[in-house]
Amino acid sequence: MNWKIFAAFAGLAVATAQPASAHHSFAAEFDSSKQVTLQGSVTKVEWQNPHIWVYLDVKDAQGNPQAWQCEGGPPNTLTRNGWGPNSLKSGDVIVIDGFLAKDGSKTCNARMVKFPDGRSVFAGSSNPDTAPKKP
Amino acid sequence: MKTLLRSGIVAVVIAMTVQAVAAGQQEVKPPTGPAPRTASGKVDFSGVWQKPYVPDMTKDGKDQKGLADLPFTPWGEAEWKKYDAAEGDYTGACLPFGMTRSVNTPEPMQIIQSDKYFVFLFEQNSWFHVVPIDGRPHGNGIPTWFGDSVGRWDGDTLVIDTVNFNSRTRLDTIGHPHSEQLHLVQRFSRPDLGHIRYEITVEDPKTFTKSWTNTRTFTLRPDWEMMEYSCEENNKSLWEGRIKPPKPPKP
Repeated sequence: MNWKIFAAFAGLAVATAQPASAHHSFAAEFDSSKQVTLQGSVTKVEWQNPHIWVYLDVKDAQGNPQAWQCEGGPPNTLTRNGWGPNSLKSGDVIVIDGFLAKDGSKTCNARMVKFPDGRSVFAGSSNPDTAPKKP
Repeated sequence: MKTLLRSGIVAVVIAMTVQAVAAGQQEVKPPTGPAPRTASGKVDFSGVWQKPYVPDMTKDGKDQKGLADLPFTPWGEAEWKKYDAAEGDYTGACLPFGMTRSVNTPEPMQIIQSDKYFVFLFEQNSWFHVVPIDGRPHGNGIPTWFGDSVGRWDGDTLVIDTVNFNSRTRLDTIGHPHSEQLHLVQRFSRPDLGHIRYEITVEDPKTFTKSWTNTRTFTLRPDWEMMEYSCEENNKSLWEGRIKPPKPPKP
Protein backbone atom coordinates (compact mmCIF):
# COMPACT_ATOMS: atom_id res chain seq x y z
CA MET A 1 0.00 0.00 0.00
CA ASN A 2 1.32 3.39 -0.91
CA TRP A 3 0.92 5.69 2.06
CA LYS A 4 -0.09 9.17 1.13
CA ILE A 5 -0.72 12.38 2.88
CA PHE A 6 -4.24 13.62 2.71
CA ALA A 7 -5.33 17.13 3.36
CA ALA A 8 -8.82 16.90 4.72
CA PHE A 9 -10.95 19.98 4.79
CA ALA A 10 -14.42 18.65 5.32
CA GLY A 11 -16.44 16.27 7.35
CA LEU A 12 -13.98 15.78 10.16
CA ALA A 13 -15.12 13.47 12.86
CA VAL A 14 -16.33 15.34 15.86
CA ALA A 15 -14.46 14.49 18.99
CA THR A 16 -16.77 13.70 21.83
CA ALA A 17 -14.14 13.76 24.50
CA GLN A 18 -13.58 16.66 26.82
CA PRO A 19 -11.08 19.03 25.24
CA ALA A 20 -7.62 19.13 26.64
CA SER A 21 -5.81 22.32 27.33
CA ALA A 22 -2.30 22.99 26.22
CA HIS A 23 0.16 24.71 28.46
CA HIS A 24 -0.03 27.46 25.85
CA SER A 25 -2.46 28.87 23.32
CA PHE A 26 -3.13 26.59 20.35
CA ALA A 27 -2.75 29.62 18.08
CA ALA A 28 0.77 30.21 19.33
CA GLU A 29 1.98 27.20 17.35
CA PHE A 30 -0.71 25.74 15.08
CA ASP A 31 -3.10 26.91 12.38
CA SER A 32 -6.68 25.72 12.82
CA SER A 33 -7.39 26.47 9.16
CA LYS A 34 -4.78 23.97 7.97
CA GLN A 35 -6.16 20.54 8.68
CA VAL A 36 -4.16 17.49 7.74
CA THR A 37 -4.55 13.73 7.76
CA LEU A 38 -1.37 11.69 8.01
CA GLN A 39 -1.20 7.94 7.48
CA GLY A 40 2.03 6.27 8.46
CA SER A 41 4.08 4.03 10.68
CA VAL A 42 4.96 5.01 14.24
CA THR A 43 8.70 5.30 14.85
CA LYS A 44 8.71 6.66 18.39
CA VAL A 45 6.42 7.93 21.15
CA GLU A 46 7.48 10.41 23.83
CA TRP A 47 5.10 10.05 26.76
CA GLN A 48 6.15 13.22 28.53
CA ASN A 49 4.81 16.57 29.70
CA PRO A 50 3.64 19.01 28.63
CA HIS A 51 2.41 16.97 25.62
CA ILE A 52 2.99 13.53 24.23
CA TRP A 53 4.73 13.46 20.85
CA VAL A 54 4.17 10.77 18.25
CA TYR A 55 6.76 10.39 15.49
CA LEU A 56 5.81 8.63 12.29
CA ASP A 57 7.11 7.94 8.83
CA VAL A 58 4.70 8.99 6.11
CA LYS A 59 5.46 7.94 2.56
CA ASP A 60 5.27 10.60 -0.10
CA ALA A 61 4.04 10.11 -3.66
CA GLN A 62 7.33 8.54 -4.63
CA GLY A 63 7.20 6.13 -1.73
CA ASN A 64 9.93 7.86 0.19
CA PRO A 65 9.41 8.03 3.97
CA GLN A 66 9.00 11.52 5.37
CA ALA A 67 9.52 12.04 9.11
CA TRP A 68 6.59 13.79 10.80
CA GLN A 69 5.96 14.64 14.44
CA CYS A 70 2.58 15.22 16.04
CA GLU A 71 1.70 16.65 19.43
CA GLY A 72 -1.03 15.05 21.52
CA GLY A 73 -2.55 16.06 24.83
CA PRO A 74 -0.85 16.05 28.21
CA PRO A 75 -0.13 12.56 29.59
CA ASN A 76 -2.37 13.21 32.59
CA THR A 77 -5.43 14.06 30.52
CA LEU A 78 -4.78 11.21 28.11
CA THR A 79 -4.40 8.79 31.02
CA ARG A 80 -7.81 9.81 32.36
CA ASN A 81 -9.15 9.35 28.82
CA GLY A 82 -7.93 5.76 28.74
CA TRP A 83 -4.60 6.17 26.99
CA GLY A 84 -1.33 4.75 28.30
CA PRO A 85 2.36 4.97 27.46
CA ASN A 86 2.03 1.79 25.40
CA SER A 87 -1.14 2.69 23.53
CA LEU A 88 1.00 3.33 20.46
CA LYS A 89 4.10 1.34 19.65
CA SER A 90 6.81 1.55 17.04
CA GLY A 91 5.62 -0.06 13.86
CA ASP A 92 1.93 0.62 14.44
CA VAL A 93 0.28 1.91 11.30
CA ILE A 94 -2.04 4.76 12.26
CA VAL A 95 -3.93 7.69 10.83
CA ILE A 96 -3.61 11.06 12.55
CA ASP A 97 -6.14 13.77 11.89
CA GLY A 98 -4.97 17.16 13.05
CA PHE A 99 -3.67 20.63 12.28
CA LEU A 100 -0.41 21.84 10.77
CA ALA A 101 2.15 23.98 12.54
CA LYS A 102 2.38 27.58 11.41
CA ASP A 103 6.10 27.35 10.64
CA GLY A 104 5.63 24.95 7.73
CA SER A 105 7.60 22.12 9.33
CA LYS A 106 6.36 18.54 9.28
CA THR A 107 4.68 19.06 12.63
CA CYS A 108 1.05 18.64 13.55
CA ASN A 109 -1.33 18.93 16.47
CA ALA A 110 -3.18 15.62 16.65
CA ARG A 111 -6.92 15.72 17.08
CA MET A 112 -7.89 12.13 16.37
CA VAL A 113 -5.80 8.99 16.06
CA LYS A 114 -7.08 5.93 14.23
CA PHE A 115 -5.46 2.88 15.76
CA PRO A 116 -4.48 -0.27 13.84
CA ASP A 117 -7.64 -1.98 15.12
CA GLY A 118 -9.78 0.72 13.56
CA ARG A 119 -10.73 2.67 16.67
CA SER A 120 -10.55 6.44 16.34
CA VAL A 121 -9.89 8.23 19.61
CA PHE A 122 -9.49 11.80 20.71
CA ALA A 123 -5.80 12.67 21.00
CA GLY A 124 -6.17 15.66 23.26
CA SER A 125 -5.97 18.52 20.79
CA SER A 126 -5.99 21.92 22.41
CA ASN A 127 -7.73 23.58 19.46
CA PRO A 128 -10.66 25.49 20.98
CA ASP A 129 -12.53 25.16 17.65
CA THR A 130 -13.38 28.81 17.70
CA ALA A 131 -11.65 31.70 16.09
CA PRO A 132 -10.57 34.46 18.44
CA LYS A 133 -13.19 37.14 18.81
CA LYS A 134 -11.94 40.67 18.48
CA PRO A 135 -13.95 43.72 19.46
CA MET B 1 -11.82 25.12 -0.30
CA LYS B 2 -8.12 25.08 -0.77
CA THR B 3 -6.13 21.96 -1.24
CA LEU B 4 -2.87 21.73 0.56
CA LEU B 5 -0.11 21.09 -1.92
CA ARG B 6 3.45 20.26 -1.04
CA SER B 7 6.17 19.27 -3.46
CA GLY B 8 6.45 15.55 -3.80
CA ILE B 9 3.33 14.94 -1.79
CA VAL B 10 0.03 13.89 -3.15
CA ALA B 11 -2.68 15.89 -1.52
CA VAL B 12 -6.20 14.69 -1.81
CA VAL B 13 -9.35 16.12 -0.39
CA ILE B 14 -11.34 13.51 1.43
CA ALA B 15 -14.34 13.54 3.65
CA MET B 16 -13.62 11.86 6.90
CA THR B 17 -16.33 9.55 8.10
CA VAL B 18 -14.42 8.15 10.97
CA GLN B 19 -16.66 7.18 13.80
CA ALA B 20 -15.23 8.85 16.82
CA VAL B 21 -15.05 6.57 19.77
CA ALA B 22 -15.69 8.47 22.90
CA ALA B 23 -12.56 8.23 24.94
CA GLY B 24 -13.20 11.26 27.04
CA GLN B 25 -13.69 11.81 30.68
CA GLN B 26 -17.06 10.25 31.20
CA GLU B 27 -19.92 11.99 32.88
CA VAL B 28 -20.00 10.88 36.46
CA LYS B 29 -22.53 11.09 39.19
CA PRO B 30 -20.81 12.68 42.15
CA PRO B 31 -21.60 11.48 45.65
CA THR B 32 -24.73 12.94 47.17
CA GLY B 33 -25.42 14.36 50.59
CA PRO B 34 -25.03 17.58 52.50
CA ALA B 35 -21.92 19.73 52.30
CA PRO B 36 -19.35 18.50 54.81
CA ARG B 37 -18.06 20.73 57.57
CA THR B 38 -14.79 21.02 59.42
CA ALA B 39 -14.49 20.36 63.15
CA SER B 40 -14.94 24.08 63.71
CA GLY B 41 -18.20 24.09 61.77
CA LYS B 42 -17.05 25.76 58.57
CA VAL B 43 -18.00 24.41 55.16
CA ASP B 44 -15.20 22.12 54.03
CA PHE B 45 -14.23 22.47 50.36
CA SER B 46 -11.52 19.81 50.50
CA GLY B 47 -11.37 17.36 47.62
CA VAL B 48 -10.30 16.85 44.02
CA TRP B 49 -12.51 18.87 41.72
CA GLN B 50 -13.32 18.71 38.03
CA LYS B 51 -13.57 22.19 36.54
CA PRO B 52 -14.97 23.31 33.19
CA TYR B 53 -12.37 24.30 30.60
CA VAL B 54 -12.74 28.02 30.01
CA PRO B 55 -10.28 29.20 27.34
CA ASP B 56 -12.44 32.27 26.74
CA MET B 57 -14.17 33.93 29.71
CA THR B 58 -16.65 35.68 27.40
CA LYS B 59 -18.20 32.36 26.39
CA ASP B 60 -20.82 30.19 28.03
CA GLY B 61 -20.23 26.46 28.26
CA LYS B 62 -21.08 23.43 30.30
CA ASP B 63 -20.89 24.48 33.95
CA GLN B 64 -19.69 27.95 32.89
CA LYS B 65 -21.48 31.27 32.43
CA GLY B 66 -19.36 33.98 30.86
CA LEU B 67 -19.89 37.60 29.91
CA ALA B 68 -20.15 38.15 26.16
CA ASP B 69 -19.21 41.80 25.93
CA LEU B 70 -16.43 42.86 28.23
CA PRO B 71 -16.60 46.52 29.32
CA PHE B 72 -13.17 47.55 28.04
CA THR B 73 -11.61 50.90 28.68
CA PRO B 74 -9.79 52.36 25.66
CA TRP B 75 -6.53 51.03 27.09
CA GLY B 76 -8.03 47.58 27.66
CA GLU B 77 -9.51 47.41 24.17
CA ALA B 78 -6.21 48.43 22.60
CA GLU B 79 -4.39 45.73 24.59
CA TRP B 80 -6.93 43.14 23.43
CA LYS B 81 -6.84 44.15 19.79
CA LYS B 82 -3.08 44.01 19.52
CA TYR B 83 -2.64 40.66 21.25
CA ASP B 84 -1.37 37.81 19.11
CA ALA B 85 -0.48 34.56 20.87
CA ALA B 86 1.83 33.66 18.01
CA GLU B 87 4.05 36.58 18.99
CA GLY B 88 4.75 35.09 22.39
CA ASP B 89 2.36 33.38 24.77
CA TYR B 90 4.16 33.35 28.11
CA THR B 91 2.64 29.99 29.01
CA GLY B 92 4.47 28.41 26.07
CA ALA B 93 7.63 29.00 28.08
CA CYS B 94 5.98 27.28 31.05
CA LEU B 95 5.76 30.54 32.99
CA PRO B 96 2.98 30.65 35.60
CA PHE B 97 -0.54 30.91 34.21
CA GLY B 98 -1.72 33.24 36.98
CA MET B 99 -4.87 32.80 39.03
CA THR B 100 -7.70 33.07 36.51
CA ARG B 101 -6.00 31.03 33.81
CA SER B 102 -5.10 28.29 36.29
CA VAL B 103 -8.72 27.99 37.44
CA ASN B 104 -9.76 28.02 33.76
CA THR B 105 -7.83 24.84 32.91
CA PRO B 106 -9.66 21.51 32.57
CA GLU B 107 -6.98 19.81 34.64
CA PRO B 108 -8.18 18.95 38.15
CA MET B 109 -7.77 21.17 41.18
CA GLN B 110 -7.42 19.87 44.70
CA ILE B 111 -8.43 21.99 47.66
CA ILE B 112 -6.90 21.49 51.07
CA GLN B 113 -8.41 23.46 53.90
CA SER B 114 -7.80 24.14 57.58
CA ASP B 115 -9.07 26.86 59.89
CA LYS B 116 -6.05 28.92 58.94
CA TYR B 117 -5.49 28.20 55.26
CA PHE B 118 -7.27 27.38 52.01
CA VAL B 119 -4.85 25.85 49.53
CA PHE B 120 -5.27 25.56 45.76
CA LEU B 121 -3.35 22.65 44.25
CA PHE B 122 -3.49 23.06 40.49
CA GLU B 123 -2.54 19.99 38.49
CA GLN B 124 -1.69 22.28 35.58
CA ASN B 125 2.09 22.56 35.80
CA SER B 126 1.93 21.37 39.45
CA TRP B 127 1.36 24.87 40.81
CA PHE B 128 -0.07 25.78 44.21
CA HIS B 129 -1.45 28.90 45.87
CA VAL B 130 -1.91 29.33 49.62
CA VAL B 131 -4.66 31.61 50.95
CA PRO B 132 -4.72 32.61 54.62
CA ILE B 133 -8.32 32.60 55.88
CA ASP B 134 -7.65 33.57 59.48
CA GLY B 135 -8.58 37.21 59.17
CA ARG B 136 -5.22 38.75 58.37
CA PRO B 137 -5.06 41.63 55.87
CA HIS B 138 -3.26 41.65 52.53
CA GLY B 139 0.50 41.81 52.69
CA ASN B 140 2.70 44.38 51.04
CA GLY B 141 4.84 42.08 48.96
CA ILE B 142 6.08 42.53 45.45
CA PRO B 143 3.57 41.81 42.68
CA THR B 144 3.34 38.13 41.77
CA TRP B 145 1.85 35.86 39.10
CA PHE B 146 -0.91 34.53 41.37
CA GLY B 147 -1.30 37.65 43.48
CA ASP B 148 -1.75 38.10 47.22
CA SER B 149 -4.89 36.38 48.47
CA VAL B 150 -6.76 36.48 51.75
CA GLY B 151 -10.04 34.78 52.55
CA ARG B 152 -12.99 35.55 54.79
CA TRP B 153 -16.30 33.88 55.51
CA ASP B 154 -19.61 35.38 54.41
CA GLY B 155 -21.94 32.93 56.10
CA ASP B 156 -21.22 29.59 54.42
CA THR B 157 -19.52 31.25 51.47
CA LEU B 158 -15.74 31.61 51.44
CA VAL B 159 -14.71 34.87 49.78
CA ILE B 160 -11.14 35.01 48.48
CA ASP B 161 -9.87 38.49 47.68
CA THR B 162 -6.71 38.78 45.59
CA VAL B 163 -4.64 41.82 44.64
CA ASN B 164 -1.01 42.65 43.93
CA PHE B 165 -0.66 40.85 40.61
CA ASN B 166 2.14 41.43 38.19
CA SER B 167 0.89 42.33 34.72
CA ARG B 168 2.62 39.49 32.88
CA THR B 169 -0.36 37.13 32.68
CA ARG B 170 -3.55 37.00 30.64
CA LEU B 171 -6.99 36.30 32.05
CA ASP B 172 -7.61 33.35 29.72
CA THR B 173 -6.05 31.29 26.93
CA ILE B 174 -7.50 33.45 24.19
CA GLY B 175 -5.66 36.37 25.73
CA HIS B 176 -8.02 38.81 27.40
CA PRO B 177 -5.84 41.40 29.10
CA HIS B 178 -5.50 42.81 32.58
CA SER B 179 -3.21 45.30 34.27
CA GLU B 180 -1.35 45.53 37.56
CA GLN B 181 -4.59 46.96 38.98
CA LEU B 182 -6.33 43.59 38.72
CA HIS B 183 -8.47 42.72 41.72
CA LEU B 184 -10.19 39.33 41.86
CA VAL B 185 -12.97 38.21 44.17
CA GLN B 186 -13.64 34.48 44.14
CA ARG B 187 -16.67 33.17 46.00
CA PHE B 188 -16.88 29.49 46.91
CA SER B 189 -20.06 27.87 48.18
CA ARG B 190 -20.96 24.19 48.41
CA PRO B 191 -24.66 23.52 47.89
CA ASP B 192 -24.15 19.79 48.42
CA LEU B 193 -21.44 17.18 48.84
CA GLY B 194 -20.78 16.80 45.13
CA HIS B 195 -20.58 20.39 43.92
CA ILE B 196 -18.96 23.77 44.41
CA ARG B 197 -20.66 26.87 43.11
CA TYR B 198 -17.87 29.19 42.02
CA GLU B 199 -18.11 32.85 41.13
CA ILE B 200 -15.22 35.04 40.05
CA THR B 201 -15.47 38.81 39.75
CA VAL B 202 -12.86 40.70 37.77
CA GLU B 203 -12.20 44.32 38.66
CA ASP B 204 -9.47 46.30 36.95
CA PRO B 205 -10.15 50.01 36.43
CA LYS B 206 -7.28 50.36 33.98
CA THR B 207 -8.67 47.61 31.72
CA PHE B 208 -12.44 47.58 32.37
CA THR B 209 -14.97 50.33 33.04
CA LYS B 210 -16.79 48.14 35.54
CA SER B 211 -16.40 44.78 37.23
CA TRP B 212 -17.71 41.61 35.60
CA THR B 213 -18.33 38.02 36.61
CA ASN B 214 -18.18 34.39 35.54
CA THR B 215 -20.08 31.66 37.41
CA ARG B 216 -19.19 27.97 37.29
CA THR B 217 -19.91 24.62 38.85
CA PHE B 218 -17.12 22.31 40.00
CA THR B 219 -17.80 18.60 40.44
CA LEU B 220 -16.25 16.41 43.13
CA ARG B 221 -14.16 13.56 41.67
CA PRO B 222 -13.38 11.09 44.45
CA ASP B 223 -12.19 8.71 41.71
CA TRP B 224 -9.34 11.03 40.69
CA GLU B 225 -5.92 11.53 42.22
CA MET B 226 -3.73 14.48 41.36
CA MET B 227 -0.84 13.72 39.03
CA GLU B 228 2.49 15.45 38.42
CA TYR B 229 2.64 17.82 35.45
CA SER B 230 6.17 19.00 34.71
CA CYS B 231 5.75 21.52 31.92
CA GLU B 232 9.49 21.94 31.36
CA GLU B 233 10.09 18.21 30.89
CA ASN B 234 9.82 18.08 27.10
CA ASN B 235 8.79 21.56 25.98
CA LYS B 236 10.17 20.96 22.50
CA SER B 237 7.81 23.40 20.79
CA LEU B 238 9.73 26.19 22.49
CA TRP B 239 13.12 24.58 22.07
CA GLU B 240 12.56 23.97 18.36
CA GLY B 241 11.39 27.53 17.79
CA ARG B 242 7.77 26.97 16.83
CA ILE B 243 6.67 28.90 19.90
CA LYS B 244 8.22 32.30 20.43
CA PRO B 245 9.50 33.04 23.90
CA PRO B 246 7.69 35.86 25.69
CA LYS B 247 9.13 39.32 25.62
CA PRO B 248 10.84 40.34 28.88
CA PRO B 249 8.89 42.78 31.00
CA LYS B 250 9.55 46.46 30.58
CA PRO B 251 11.78 47.82 33.34
